Amino acid sequence: MADLQLDDVTKVFVEDDGNEITAVDEVSLAIDDGEFLVLVGPSGCGKSTTLRMVAGLETVSDGAIRLGGSVINDAKPAERDIAMVFQSYALYPHMTVRENMSFGLEESTSMPDDEIASTVEDAATMLGIDDLLERKPDDLSGGQQQRVALGRAIVRDPEVFLLDEPLSNLDAKLRAQMRTELQRLQEDLGVATIYVTHDQTEAMTMADKIAILNDGQLQQVGTPLECYHEPANLFVASFIGEPSMNFFDVSRDGETLVHDDFTYELTSAVASELGDHDELVLGIRPEDIELRSTQDDTHSYETFVDVVEPMGNENNVYLTFDADSTETFVATIDGLNHVEDGQSVIAHVPEDAIHIFDRASGSALRNRTLDTQAMPEPQL
Amino acid sequence: MDSLRNSIKRLNPLSASDSDFLESMPFWLPATALVLLFVYGAIGWNVIISFTGWSGLGQPDYTNFTLEMYRQMPSDPDFMASLRNTIALLVAFTGVSLVVGLGLALLVDRKIRFESTFRTIYLLPMALSFVVTAIFWSWMYASNGLINTTLSGLGLGWLAHDWLGDPRFKLAAVIFALVWQFSGYCMIVYLAGLRSIPNDHYEAARIDGASTLTLYRRIIIPQLRSSTVGATVVLMVFALKAFDFIYVMFGTNPGRSVDILAVTMYREAFSSSEWAYGAAIAVVLFALALTIIGPYAYTQYKRGAL
Amino acid sequence: MATTTTDESEHTETESGLELRRIALYGALLALVGAYLSPLYSGLTTAFKTQEAYRNTSPLQPPLEGFTIDPWVTAGSELAFAMVNSFAMVIPAAVLSALFGSLTAYGLTKVDWRGQVFVLVLFLAAVFIPYQAVLVPLRQFWSMIGLSQLHPRGELVELTITHIAYGIPICTILFRSYYQTLDSELIEAARLDGASLARIYRKIVLPLSLPMFAVTLIYQFTQVWNDFLFALVLLSNRSNYVVTLELNALAGSMATDYSVQMAGAFIAALPTILVYILFGEQFAKGQTL
Repeated sequence: MADLQLDDVTKVFVEDDGNEITAVDEVSLAIDDGEFLVLVGPSGCGKSTTLRMVAGLETVSDGAIRLGGSVINDAKPAERDIAMVFQSYALYPHMTVRENMSFGLEESTSMPDDEIASTVEDAATMLGIDDLLERKPDDLSGGQQQRVALGRAIVRDPEVFLLDEPLSNLDAKLRAQMRTELQRLQEDLGVATIYVTHDQTEAMTMADKIAILNDGQLQQVGTPLECYHEPANLFVASFIGEPSMNFFDVSRDGETLVHDDFTYELTSAVASELGDHDELVLGIRPEDIELRSTQDDTHSYETFVDVVEPMGNENNVYLTFDADSTETFVATIDGLNHVEDGQSVIAHVPEDAIHIFDRASGSALRNRTLDTQAMPEPQL
Repeated sequence: MDSLRNSIKRLNPLSASDSDFLESMPFWLPATALVLLFVYGAIGWNVIISFTGWSGLGQPDYTNFTLEMYRQMPSDPDFMASLRNTIALLVAFTGVSLVVGLGLALLVDRKIRFESTFRTIYLLPMALSFVVTAIFWSWMYASNGLINTTLSGLGLGWLAHDWLGDPRFKLAAVIFALVWQFSGYCMIVYLAGLRSIPNDHYEAARIDGASTLTLYRRIIIPQLRSSTVGATVVLMVFALKAFDFIYVMFGTNPGRSVDILAVTMYREAFSSSEWAYGAAIAVVLFALALTIIGPYAYTQYKRGAL
Repeated sequence: MATTTTDESEHTETESGLELRRIALYGALLALVGAYLSPLYSGLTTAFKTQEAYRNTSPLQPPLEGFTIDPWVTAGSELAFAMVNSFAMVIPAAVLSALFGSLTAYGLTKVDWRGQVFVLVLFLAAVFIPYQAVLVPLRQFWSMIGLSQLHPRGELVELTITHIAYGIPICTILFRSYYQTLDSELIEAARLDGASLARIYRKIVLPLSLPMFAVTLIYQFTQVWNDFLFALVLLSNRSNYVVTLELNALAGSMATDYSVQMAGAFIAALPTILVYILFGEQFAKGQTL
């Protein structure tokens, strides 16, 4: 019932000097009931503007926003049956937690006072902040304020939750904790949620579905693993994943990809997917590069270790093709695997893991193949 | 197709920002209407009156307009003297107040004890009416007042003067008293500027081996530019309208050595009933103020400070 | 800094140099205190002196011989009615211009529509306009409205309204600079909570503006209490005189009696001095915008 739909939604800002800036360009999205959609992209990509249009805090320049089938473009924020959690939490500093959480119910419903009180208390209990109800926001820790902001949204019992970078003000540890807690909460409530973040880790770990925006344009919508393994274009491939995918500008010579430092032979099946595109980008995820000690097949290259970043569980190894070169690419290996700066190693780039993009348009021509072993089904 | 949709959008009277405009009107419209009437309406009316030649009893004649009022200004020695004095007051008062205020701010900013007490004392004159301060200073400058008695006490009796009677000293005496009243204001403006300079700058300069003098001359004072600009505008505009002090000290006719446009305007209009001439002098004052606030308001706007 | 070095028993050369500089600094600060307070000091000593003591002693000398409070009694009885008039005018003028300023700044800052910057430029310019440019029309305007004919106190009402109108621009600018620092997500949250603009003002903005109301009220109180020019132009009936006007008249009629003049000046300044001493921080804030 509550499916939210954005059809070609566009936002054009007109600057004082008459310049028009398209912040959001014909974005179309659909969020089903109970779905957790993460809108992710670098800062300034239009993700917050999109969210604010859904909230009714920005006008829609063009296109339509539908909630449960009816267009809500011109509905006032309060009439949209949505609740929002702001980046700054926007807790009313002069009101107690209880007053903060009741305010929306008092303003927008005719709910009697005792019912408001019990709704607020229920939500507070669910969030574990029931003992903070009489305190003022300034007396609370960041994590507690975060919960109050969530509670304020929950009591409204909205059709859609909007969350604007809600975890960005928390420290790393609390952020990780709140991430799982938010997910659990959203599952329990079963309310459609749009979650805006610039942090691809949050997007990957929390989303049912990710929508990636860049320069106001939607790049890809898909499950986290789809976006990770089957990026639609160079932008998505580089944005999702940490450390980022390695890219090599190559040109095609028959069934061979030619780079300044190496050549890469393709099988005919793969080469045939490339159509008549000749100027290409070869992509490979750091964890798909295997480091070996002996050269044994065509997709192995002698490289030199430039820098090793030990992360504990794994090592990020920055490699060069030439001992003096500063152009590095990165491979991720097991943390117990020992390599040293300056060491020479053989990097193996398996063909089933490579991505190939058209350099001019950036769109993916071939993505890695996935067998069940590479992507096991979740086992519960 | 797109342009059609856009134009439909623009015609839609219920778009959110339009309804914001309508909904917000009750908040700003009454006050804006009052300001438009009392400030801008009155200024326009004043300009019109200045063209009517209205004087004496009766009402202005709004059917005959003349530039006569403006034409007679250059040949009116009172007006020209006032203009000169106004500009002298504006320059000297502003300059000295800024220097004294900066000095006070630098002294107070040296992590002193009882800082707020010192600040409170230096700023105190700002809380007083010009009527009050003019009365205090009339007594300070009197022949047996504090200044002359102190000079005599220090063996400097030959310096004692009839400060408010001698045309050579009248304007300077007024400027001195006004600096006393306003330097505290400059001090707090500069203090706010000094406090907004990050501590890192002081520390970085220390590590670079800068002496205290160099630190202030090269690092700190250049960063007080916007404080200086803001204070200068306030002081200059005040100097243009410094009416109360001179009027209370000297009356409607303070004499050519200390007459300023604000006083001349009042005398012409409200003492001599030369309403149109008074209005014309007021227009000149207004134009002078515009040359000061115009660029300021424009740069504030450009910097996005509004 | 100086306080920590004094605790140490051993002074190096630079430390004692520092010490000397601190002494010079405090010396300069104290000398300036003397200079800044001297007009008030000479006024205060004189206000307690008999005419004879005034003639025979320096204003530097405290009023030990020839001490009297007669000047205060004389000035006080002269100024009493004008003090009442001033209060009757200042309180509504300060409260209403602050309230208008707050409402206007809210409407122009926290609600988004084009053209509000233009209105704000008008307000900013109005802060600085020399009032001479409006005096003649102002007198014309009020004589056309004719409140003074309707009621003997009409002039005072005219003056109060005038002060409200001319106080609005500065109050608006003061509140605006404050509202700009207010998190706009607060207002947006309240809109999503379903509050109307009026409810947001009443429930969120107004309670959060109380510190700024203190600043603005103090600014306007001082400004309006100290005003002389508008009162001079608008009040003609002596019984309506506000305290600045009456003090000027008193000084004119007792030109040679500095004792009464000084006592009168202190009485007229007392409310603003009290406000200043009690709310110095807020006063300074209003001055620096």
